[in-house]
Amino acid sequence: MWQYLARRFVYMIFTIWIISLVSFAVIQLPPGDYVTSMISQMYASGGQNMPPEYIAQLREQYGLDQPLHLQYFKWIRKIVLHGEFGYSFIYREDSREMIFARLPVTFAISAFSMLFIWIMAIPIGVFSAAHQYSIGDYVFTFIGFIGLAVPSFLMALILMFISYKYFDRAMIGLFSVEYADAPWSIEKFIDMLKHLWIPVIIIGTGGTAGMIRTMRANLLDELNRPYVDTARAKGVSENRLLWKYPVRHALNPFVSTIGWVLPGLVGGEVIVSVVLNLPTSGPVIFDSLMKQDMYMAAGFILMVSTLTVIGTFISDLLLVWLDPRIRLT
Amino acid sequence: MVDTLLEVCDLLIHFFTDEGVVKAVDGVNLTIPRGKTICLVGESGCGKSVTARAFLQIIRKPGRIVSGQMLYHQQRPDGSTEVIDLAKLPPKGDAIRKIRGREISMIFQEPMTSLSLMHTVGNQIMEAILLHEKTSKLEARKRGIDLLQRVGIPRPDRLIDEYPFRLSGGMRQRAMIAMALSCNPTMLIADEPTTALDVTTQAQILDLLLDLQQQYNMSLLFITHDLGVVAEIADEVAVMYLGRIVEQSDAVTIFNSPKHPYTQALLKSIPKVAMKREELAPIKGMVPSPFRRPTGCVFHPRCSQRMNECSQTDPMATQVDANHMVRCLLYQNASAVKTNVGTVTHD
Amino acid sequence: MNVTVSQDSIDQVLEPDGITIPPDVLDTENLKIDVATQWQLMWWKFRRHRLANISAVIVLFYYFVAIFAEFFAPYQSTDYIAEYVYSPPQPIHFFDDGTFKPHVKGLTFTRDERSFKKIWSVDDSQVIPIRFFAKGSEYKIGLHWTKIPLIKELYVTVDRHLIGPVDKDQPMYLMGADKSGRDIFSRMIHSSRISLSVGLFGVALSMILGIVLGGLSGLLGGGVDTIIQRLIEIMMSIPMLPIMLAIAAVVPPNWTALRVYFIITIILAFTSWTGLARVVRGKFLSLREEDFILAARLDGTGRFRLIFSHMLPSFYSHIIASLTLALPGMILGETALSFLGVGLRPPVVSWGVMLQETQKVAVLALYPWLLWPAVAVIIVVLAFNFLGDGLRDAADPY
Repeated sequence: MWQYLARRFVYMIFTIWIISLVSFAVIQLPPGDYVTSMISQMYASGGQNMPPEYIAQLREQYGLDQPLHLQYFKWIRKIVLHGEFGYSFIYREDSREMIFARLPVTFAISAFSMLFIWIMAIPIGVFSAAHQYSIGDYVFTFIGFIGLAVPSFLMALILMFISYKYFDRAMIGLFSVEYADAPWSIEKFIDMLKHLWIPVIIIGTGGTAGMIRTMRANLLDELNRPYVDTARAKGVSENRLLWKYPVRHALNPFVSTIGWVLPGLVGGEVIVSVVLNLPTSGPVIFDSLMKQDMYMAAGFILMVSTLTVIGTFISDLLLVWLDPRIRLT
Repeated sequence: MVDTLLEVCDLLIHFFTDEGVVKAVDGVNLTIPRGKTICLVGESGCGKSVTARAFLQIIRKPGRIVSGQMLYHQQRPDGSTEVIDLAKLPPKGDAIRKIRGREISMIFQEPMTSLSLMHTVGNQIMEAILLHEKTSKLEARKRGIDLLQRVGIPRPDRLIDEYPFRLSGGMRQRAMIAMALSCNPTMLIADEPTTALDVTTQAQILDLLLDLQQQYNMSLLFITHDLGVVAEIADEVAVMYLGRIVEQSDAVTIFNSPKHPYTQALLKSIPKVAMKREELAPIKGMVPSPFRRPTGCVFHPRCSQRMNECSQTDPMATQVDANHMVRCLLYQNASAVKTNVGTVTHD
Repeated sequence: MNVTVSQDSIDQVLEPDGITIPPDVLDTENLKIDVATQWQLMWWKFRRHRLANISAVIVLFYYFVAIFAEFFAPYQSTDYIAEYVYSPPQPIHFFDDGTFKPHVKGLTFTRDERSFKKIWSVDDSQVIPIRFFAKGSEYKIGLHWTKIPLIKELYVTVDRHLIGPVDKDQPMYLMGADKSGRDIFSRMIHSSRISLSVGLFGVALSMILGIVLGGLSGLLGGGVDTIIQRLIEIMMSIPMLPIMLAIAAVVPPNWTALRVYFIITIILAFTSWTGLARVVRGKFLSLREEDFILAARLDGTGRFRLIFSHMLPSFYSHIIASLTLALPGMILGETALSFLGVGLRPPVVSWGVMLQETQKVAVLALYPWLLWPAVAVIIVVLAFNFLGDGLRDAADPY
């Protein structure tokens, strides 16, 4: 078990390191360096020309005149040691403020979506497998396929249209007006939960459809295993047998799917938030990329990806707890 | 007078697949005496496992008992017997579940996969006890440890909390046996329980099974394709070919004077230690496709003593001796005695 | 409903290890099953998957329409009548006063009191007759797009469209008009060419990446395998969407439409090869242990030949199924990027580009017909999913 955990942990650290390289590469993507895009952006938004001394000072501050690997080192050290992600010229402050304000909401939505997926997918998947080729199975399979085929941003659009047209209110935002700018409080959190279900359902639907199919397939495999016959031959009732043995076995691969569902959820959250204009990471990432506010964008990409990888690691821990074969070896 | 435990009459089990109907069990007649060991012998795919599964109503989809009777003579506590037709019990109903594990239990071929690796040995043994008897968990656990001891597992008090994947194949099969015996069944079905084990372990498990059969005075239905095993343990032998019992008698008769050409061929195909270096005689041909059964006698395409009528006439079960049934035209015409058991005609 | 079982489950029950049938016991019907090639078996199995059959027809229909988009669309993608901004859909009527005369109703407008904008509505008093093979704007059919000398001269100019108003100056907006007075129905048909081909090219690219890297991984094993597996695992554990956005967002605005098209395709392929690589690797790993590969190796078959004439053909079917299942992801990816405004750009039309207009909910609420391209996307993605599912089932005929 410890060996397994140690290996997963090393993988996680390694992956995070790769992520940091990719995020740093994102900063380098636009033509010219950060200061040039900053200047052109400020110029475009009606600012006046900046004095050359100031430009030189900025370049030095970010180490832009140094070789790339030193720039990377400088960037990552600031993040690790000081939690400073670099100056954002859109918000005129360090990107940190925005990142730490928005990231928790993104992960609240992603985590709730994951929960939603599980709550929906496990019972439906079990039902579909246990009643293979029944009408219910076909109905769920069909709904599942539609869930897969309708991308989350389209579903967001359609729901938004319906609520706007028929309920006469835009389904935008995560907070009621009175809490939108209020500092965090329990009331605000509860208010958020009240608004959360719409994006959670939108983001979770695609994943739910996929997971139902995974659960169904896993369980169908397990239903034909000899240990099921053994249990049946003992006289265990069908229902109890189903939940005690095959479902238990099918859950193991199911848990490890968190690893590949989570990145999709986070990606879905980004795009759905842009459509619904939710105060989460999505719109900020999008906006900063559009305006080439690269420290902000890179910071978000780094943090969002890192947290996703940590989420995957947590699913590994869960697997250890769930599967005695890993726990005891 | 034989004390009958289970009487199988004209059992028909079909698998309804997309490719067509597979007649896996096609008119089986079999009598299982109380407290004896009976071996069901046959090649792979002859329907012996399916027959055994039918007794517990645990045939897999898309298989189904089409017709026939399985009369189980259940002994009441007061000594009287009640006859239950197991074929009539719905597979998911309560009635058959009261039989499973308590009256008739079963051990399977693969000890590796027949136990759940996610649950401890103890959990799986105690499950049957708690299900069929009103005992406390603690009591059930005690019985579990006792059972593990009986099947020869060392340090059973520790092993009961172990997961099956930490045990060797032989140990797992012992645990399976302990599980099957947990409610003192009157009949134990062992479906090739030693096939997946190495030779030494095989012998140990066989000895254990025989020993326990005597101790518990239960009927043991032993399914195998290994005639060596049969010679070692059987009181009765039933030979099965393509979904039918082609010959049934006591072990001595089967080995000394086999009647059916198939039984004869089977016996010729196994090596004997005392045998001189003569060549083994494999049975000609292959088992036919399950979708297209031969007409007439199902064995005729491979039979060395085939007659013209064999491809048309389906032989009936013929009693050649008091306790010796054979299903072959060679004997049907010679013998005047015919059983009252009807035959199933085929298209 | 019939119970379907895989052959496996029958085998499990009957345990007929290696059934072969002596010739005297079987009839021809049985023989047919035995000698059928793998492709035949697949075809038979596929034929029974009704939903997949219907889906195959739908997918073929989509591609057929995409190839002859100019003919199927009543108008060109850039045709517009400036006046009919956001005019509503004009449904087809078949009878006029009890006589068969297919037509659409005309349009009329009122002025918005505040903005003085024209608000169009369908006017039942006007009848605009429509017909098949109607005359419309001219287009070329042939090889003119190849831009190769001489060959590019091989084309004909046609002005007939499958359906259109008898008088080509009268409006016929079957699914309404967009903000510039362009026909949504026509643009949707033209879009299919881009949206569907992005999927094809993207899948082809990711197939190459997937087969090469997955194959290397599965065949060589050892260190190469570990490195490629790590790479795949990392790529799968990172949310790719923000990174895709980042790359797409920095595509210079002065790039030609073609270059943007290719970079978007590459981005899509780059993020989706991992799944296929895993399938290929797994197949190679299990194939290495198969008897027929061992037999070929013992016969002295060279490594290259072993891979290309023994291993790959044995799972073409799996690759095809995986590719079919990857295609909808590509189409959705392009749609999402273009919808956000970082994918393809006007004047290129794709479903995603068309959907850009729906970003503002206020616009969408007034002109819901702008959502029609979404319907096209959903149908084709569904069809691909069903088709891929059917192919995957059929790929395992045994």
